[in-house]
Amino acid sequence: MAKLEKALLALNEFGRSRKSDISPVAAVIVTLFYIVIVLTVPVSDPQRLVWMAVYPVMMAEYCGAGFVRIFIKSLWVLPFVILIGIFNPIFDHNPGIKIAEVSVSAGWISFVSIILRGLLSMQSLIILGYMAGFLDICSSLRRIHIPRILVTQLLLSYRYLSVLIEEALSMRRARQARGFGSDKLSLSLWAALVGQLLVRSADRASSIHRAMLARGFDGVLPLVDRGQSPDKNSILFAITVCVAVALLRWLPFDSWFGFLNF
Amino acid sequence: MSHHYISFENLSFSYPKGPEVLHDINLRITHGERVALLGLNGSGKSTLLLQTNGLLFPSSGRVVVGDVPVTRKTAPEVRRRVGMVFQNPDDMLFMPTVADDVAFGPRNMKLPEQEVTRRVNNALEAVGIPSLASSPSFMLSGGQRRAAAIATVLSMEPDILVLDEPSANLDMRACKALVKTLSEFNHTILLATHDLELARNLTPRAILLHEGRILADTSLDEAIGILSQLADSH
Ligand SMILES: Nc1ncnc2c1ncn2[C@@H]1O[C@H](COP(=O)(O)OP(=O)(O)OP(=O)(O)O)[C@@H](O)[C@H]1O
Ligand SMILES: [Mg+2]
Repeated sequence: MAKLEKALLALNEFGRSRKSDISPVAAVIVTLFYIVIVLTVPVSDPQRLVWMAVYPVMMAEYCGAGFVRIFIKSLWVLPFVILIGIFNPIFDHNPGIKIAEVSVSAGWISFVSIILRGLLSMQSLIILGYMAGFLDICSSLRRIHIPRILVTQLLLSYRYLSVLIEEALSMRRARQARGFGSDKLSLSLWAALVGQLLVRSADRASSIHRAMLARGFDGVLPLVDRGQSPDKNSILFAITVCVAVALLRWLPFDSWFGFLNF
Repeated sequence: MSHHYISFENLSFSYPKGPEVLHDINLRITHGERVALLGLNGSGKSTLLLQTNGLLFPSSGRVVVGDVPVTRKTAPEVRRRVGMVFQNPDDMLFMPTVADDVAFGPRNMKLPEQEVTRRVNNALEAVGIPSLASSPSFMLSGGQRRAAAIATVLSMEPDILVLDEPSANLDMRACKALVKTLSEFNHTILLATHDLELARNLTPRAILLHEGRILADTSLDEAIGILSQLADSH
């Protein structure tokens, strides 16, 4: 199957509910808690962030996704976090630590921290995707009182992605039908196609919006609140994981394992 | 309930910065009536239908549904009464599964989830695709998409059903199923179509639109006669 069809299927699959023992609300709370805690780790302390990686590793195995797969998927945030962090080593030359007589500046240390933070947060989000479907995640966000308008924004962006892919699919079919098998595109043709894609998908989006209005859409996507409060298991799960995350963050590993310090 | 269920009064319309495409339309459709809207491509059928649902507003004149004049303010109420099936079914299908799409309208109406489920099942049953409830809509065939699109509106249980080309892409069996579904809908139907067979089976009355004007408001057979003369003369 071609890449685009696969992407469309994957996107669709991502939206569906999961058959998981853990309720989506519990999964969302745990994930948000983890991300907040990761962000509290000072950038001068990348070792602590390494400890925090215990969470994605354990959770990835727990939800059956496997950490390697999660790790690889999380790599695509790298360009963004590198962009954010790259100025630290350039501007911050204060002495940081010494590794085997080579001194590493504080700038490089915070750069490493920023990258770790980005990867860890991304990994926890991907794991969340494995534990709960996107629609369930959104309705959980509503349950923990994230504003409607934000959640609707999330949902609509998600929908727009599939509109974009569907349009790309139909454009590709149209091109292939007349392209006599040659799949090579010049750069200028590429640019024209991308422009065309944006125009077409915007046009589709506005027709869809009109059809939504016709069915009573008032700016807020209706989400099914499946009505179930998290069960005992899920609550226990959430508490355990949150405590474990807090321990990873604040236990004085450094003094216990002093020999690991550089 | 008002006797004249839908009426267009001196309605004219032009798209923003465009020429006028509907000119002085006067039309009354009573409750329970089934009416076909015929006309060549570009005669203004879709444009007229969009006015019934507050998706377009007249440049002059007005549309009244029941006893509610369609305005920006009343549009939400009007949309509960008028169910609109669009020319392109893909415009109506955008949720992960068919069932989610069919539930979209009822959920917007803030119905309890139990009632939503009941309506979704009924609507899918009515269009003959209950087995596709949990399929993603992009994997459906053209005819199945059409059926799903109609179900998304039936689930709202509207007082009036407005359909734009509902039989496009349907095979003969699906067409028969459509006729059956629509015959069972015992409220008002306004149907824009090029499918004269469908019209023959459903709508005794026909309105012939030509270049944005009502050319005839008469029996279906007569309207078809005029339409074919028009087609020959172009
Ligand atoms: N969004 C738009 N902006 C500007 N003009 C439009 C728009 N949509 C339609 N028109 C014009 O309005 C006129 C009527 O179009 P409409 O789509 O209502 O015709 P129709 O009777 O539904 O045709 P068809 O049988 O092909 O569906 C046409 O001349 C068309 O070019
Ligand atoms: Mg039309």
